[in-house]
Amino acid sequence: MVGDNLKMAGIVGFEGIAIFAWLVWILPFAGGAIIPAVAKVGKKVRDYTAVGFALASAISAAALIPLAFSGSEIHSQINWISVVNVKAGVLPDPLSIVMTNLVAWISFLIIIYSTGYMHGDRDLTRYWFFMLFFIGSMQLIVLSDNLLMVFFGWEGVGLASYALIGFWYYDKKKDFVGSIGDRAGGIAMWASPSHAGMKAFLMTRAGDTMMLAGMFMIFIYSGTFGFKELLQNQAWAAQMAHQNLLVPAAVLLFGGAVGKSAQFPLNEWLLEAMTGPTPVSALIHAATMVKAGVFLVARIGPLFFALAAFGMTQFFEVVAWVGAITAFLLATQAIVNPEIKKVLAYSTGSQIGYMMMALGIAGLSVNFVDGYAAGFFQLMSHAMFKASLFMGAGALLHTVGSRFMTDMGGLRKHMRKTYIFMLLASLSLAAAPLITAGFWSKDAIFAAVLESGYAHALPLFGVAVVVAAMTAFYTFRMIGMAFFGKKSKYLEEMEQRGHHLHEVGPNMWVPFAILAVATIATGVVGFIIGPQITNYLGGYLVHYFGIGKEVPSAGVSIAPEGGKTFFGLNPTAAAASFGAFAIGAILGYIVYIARKVDPEIISRNIVTRAIWKFLYNRWYLNTLLYWGAVIGPMAIYRIIWRYFESTIIDGISPAFQYTMAYFSKVVRAGQTGITQTYLFVFGVGIMIIVMLMLL
Amino acid sequence: MADLISTPLIVTLILGVVGLAIPIIDAFKKERGSNNRLYSGIAFGALIITIGFVIFRVLSGEVMPAVLFSKGVLTDDLFGSFFAIALLIVSIMVTASSWNYMKGRINPAAYYSLILLSSIGMVLIAYSTDLVMLLVAWELMSIPTYALAAFSKRDPISNEAAIKYFMFGALSSAILVFAIGLVYGITGTTNIGSSIQAMASLQKGLVPVGLLAIGLFIAGFGFKMGLVPFHMWLPDAYEGAPTTIGALLAAGTKKAGFAAALRVIVLGMFALNVDWTVTLAIVAVFTMTLGNLGALIQKSVPRILAYSSIAQAGYILIGIALAPYSNQALTGSLFHILNHAVMKSAGFIAAAAVAATLASYSLEKYRGLGRRMPITAIAFSISLLALAGVPPLNGFWSKLVLFGAAINSGSVVAWGPYLAIAGVLNSALSLGYYAWIIRKMYMEEGPDMSKVKEPRAMVAVLVFAMVFMVGFGVWHAPILQFASKAVPHLSNIVPTGSNHLSNIVPSSKTLHDF
Repeated sequence: MVGDNLKMAGIVGFEGIAIFAWLVWILPFAGGAIIPAVAKVGKKVRDYTAVGFALASAISAAALIPLAFSGSEIHSQINWISVVNVKAGVLPDPLSIVMTNLVAWISFLIIIYSTGYMHGDRDLTRYWFFMLFFIGSMQLIVLSDNLLMVFFGWEGVGLASYALIGFWYYDKKKDFVGSIGDRAGGIAMWASPSHAGMKAFLMTRAGDTMMLAGMFMIFIYSGTFGFKELLQNQAWAAQMAHQNLLVPAAVLLFGGAVGKSAQFPLNEWLLEAMTGPTPVSALIHAATMVKAGVFLVARIGPLFFALAAFGMTQFFEVVAWVGAITAFLLATQAIVNPEIKKVLAYSTGSQIGYMMMALGIAGLSVNFVDGYAAGFFQLMSHAMFKASLFMGAGALLHTVGSRFMTDMGGLRKHMRKTYIFMLLASLSLAAAPLITAGFWSKDAIFAAVLESGYAHALPLFGVAVVVAAMTAFYTFRMIGMAFFGKKSKYLEEMEQRGHHLHEVGPNMWVPFAILAVATIATGVVGFIIGPQITNYLGGYLVHYFGIGKEVPSAGVSIAPEGGKTFFGLNPTAAAASFGAFAIGAILGYIVYIARKVDPEIISRNIVTRAIWKFLYNRWYLNTLLYWGAVIGPMAIYRIIWRYFESTIIDGISPAFQYTMAYFSKVVRAGQTGITQTYLFVFGVGIMIIVMLMLL
Repeated sequence: MADLISTPLIVTLILGVVGLAIPIIDAFKKERGSNNRLYSGIAFGALIITIGFVIFRVLSGEVMPAVLFSKGVLTDDLFGSFFAIALLIVSIMVTASSWNYMKGRINPAAYYSLILLSSIGMVLIAYSTDLVMLLVAWELMSIPTYALAAFSKRDPISNEAAIKYFMFGALSSAILVFAIGLVYGITGTTNIGSSIQAMASLQKGLVPVGLLAIGLFIAGFGFKMGLVPFHMWLPDAYEGAPTTIGALLAAGTKKAGFAAALRVIVLGMFALNVDWTVTLAIVAVFTMTLGNLGALIQKSVPRILAYSSIAQAGYILIGIALAPYSNQALTGSLFHILNHAVMKSAGFIAAAAVAATLASYSLEKYRGLGRRMPITAIAFSISLLALAGVPPLNGFWSKLVLFGAAINSGSVVAWGPYLAIAGVLNSALSLGYYAWIIRKMYMEEGPDMSKVKEPRAMVAVLVFAMVFMVGFGVWHAPILQFASKAVPHLSNIVPTGSNHLSNIVPSSKTLHDF
């Protein structure tokens, strides 16, 4: 009876280590909720509260690590929407525990960084609220055991990103993104923070709508949102496959990930999302928002692969090609952009494209685990170096006060620490061979693509290699433009005004230093880490999904067909990544670090100039987007409004309104206020009711 | 011995002692007739202890469904506890907000004492299993509220309201006594369980008398529940009474009326020929429609809330009318009762907060409230949206269960789904005035837009209500499960042997059926 009543109160489901899995996402929400109240006490207390809750959440995440090492999972559920028997639950398993720790600790570092970067901002209460809300929503996505809760976190992330991208909603010119006055095809290529926030919100909404549709399609057939339940009873998949709905539903679900992870064709919002404070960009790019999409694919990928019997190839093809296209598209644009944060943003989209490509190729290959582990490895290494790079870029912005790299230059002497740690992180982004995490993860992707046995693996591989060269080039371009060469005019003027260029405080540089060192440290031992991840995720896949019965041992896993050379690298893949890095890095070095060639040469030739313009205008995708999705529909809307709403709807609604008002007056007229009337009605009422009953 | 620690007895003891002690303390105080905060604090503490005790008993599983107390007069079961918790929440909200509302008004000692005594009555109604006990508890609940409604004794509107309320109260008590007399006459017992059992095997000729008794019960309880056509006193009384007392009446005593109705009428429904439940369905539709229509063009906020509470009674009645046909119907009713208790108290207390600071009930004064009293305005908006049944607030889920039950009952009884249609249309209609108020608060500007200090205790109560409405909107499972566990206890008071009753009375097992 006692247990019964506890169950009734919903307390059962929170015992043991599972409580930490709940706390990881509840704590940030709770912290966010009390921030406004704490803000009344004092500013310091408020800031410490935010840091404290982020830390508590991270510690709860860390408490789950032993569970991950034992390779087991906990599935803890409580009743939620009991009217339709939908349960809420958390599912800390090997996949989500790694992810939740990644998110928690990077977020924690970013929160620490924020105490320096955002110091003195007048709206810090709002900032902390949404940052914690952001983290909580992301952790909800990571840990929840069903699609519905994922969707709630998904929307929470969307809302928080909207609020934080448009955080400086008073739209000062210095917070804009893009060069003001720059138009492509009649569309403004710059955006104010509030505009950018709205754009991010609406574009990701397009993805979310698809995801919702996919979710409910699956729910109609399976009657559940739970990942475990979907896996256990696969009758729903057979039924859906029979009606040719399985792949469309899966692709619709993937649509959500496309929106959230800024993949083609929903990539445009990410570039304008740079209007938020830099820690927000770091959070969006490294820990929360865009990783949510990749994580969702990592979450449902094995499930769909387990359903391979019902024909899921097309789904994985879509994932792989969307990833490849995005990786290429955004890398080309990163090459020409003058804004440091935007270069990083393009690079994020491009790198996420790699992850998607890896996860897609996993489903198309014999060894699912290769691509899967490569994608996840890339996610981890990218999270580290990108968070570090953004925080470093934030330090530059903080000191220089301009988002344009053309306004920087020669800063390595003034900002020693920022320079060193950004360089380390950049090397990882550029995939400098053998010592960086970025190299090993990218190489794993190359190998996975090559060995997949997928019919169109070669074009994919080609794209991947070209993108890698471009990545190395734009990374060196960024470092060169910011830290090398002569000081820009802008900086000189600044110094003349008596403004001293200084290094940032330790609460800012320490967080990104930690991550930069971590990415190199991971890289140095990358030849062990890579196979370890493969083993770890391989065990997870075998244990819970029955994918890849014999677990490949370390080393062998990456090159199953005897093509094994030093460090367990696939020779073709390794050669390609060495080559790509060399080409990109050398070009970047010559042009932007040694400054032997003036980049202006491209404007002298009409062809190169046209290409430059095409890339600079983002392939005119933004233009298309605005004409097709904003201006066009607005015109149609005006027609509908003019001829339908204002005549038909506005014609009908007053009639309804006056009818109701008339009835309301009748009721009111009956309410005379005279007690005798009331008593009379009462008496008549009794008689009518008794007579009705006796009928 | 078990009887002595039975929940109703402990509740009576705590609240009774404190309720009587407050006037005595007042007699020894130097400044008689003041000390509002002291009494508010005492009454609040007593209520918190009481509700804590009830919740503790429920959670620890120590409720004794079958143990009858004092010769079958009171029982200690989950059904009673469910209502006790709902009603005590209302009393707590009212008491806490009176901390501000009663400031500077006369006779606080009597005020809090009367609230506590009335609370005892409400709680005992929920626990009684005997018609005479029920009547006594009913009077214990009602009589203090007559005095409370007239509490602003220099205010003629309050006096008029109280007089109307009292006259109808007296009339309904008389009707109840008459109905009890009839039941005793045909069955020879006043115990609800036994009389129901006796009614089930009534001689053919006496069935109309039994139906007459039930009809009179509907009228007698219906007066408190605010069913059409027994509702006419209600807008006048809720509007005229002090606004906090309006909350007590609309959210508290009204729900006690439902508790009594469920105890008596629902069981009577199963015992007698069930065909007449269509009468209740008709009453339900009339009640919700008239309530919503009446609210549409009102100018005074408490009056709008009063009409809205009539409409809500109609929704709750859907569940009662469908009790014999659907397993979830009664669960839905209970669920909505608890939700409505909080939503409506929050609404009235927000209105009380406005009345306390701006000294007006008029809707015109609410213009620009979003900026003048931000917390009050947001709490009021949430409570209005919850009343309208907007997801994900708690009111949405209880309406979903109610209307879902109505749709599901379509396979048994043809008119069931029409109740759902009526309910949905009415919910849409009700947005006409709920949204209107929200619009006034946020989208219009008043002549005076200066910020006003919001009364603290009321803000605290409103914040609690917001957390409740949003929290149990996001996670409604605990309350729904509590309701579904409470419902079967309703039939436990009928002595065993009448199996056909337990067959029809809903069980929680089939709750997930839709």
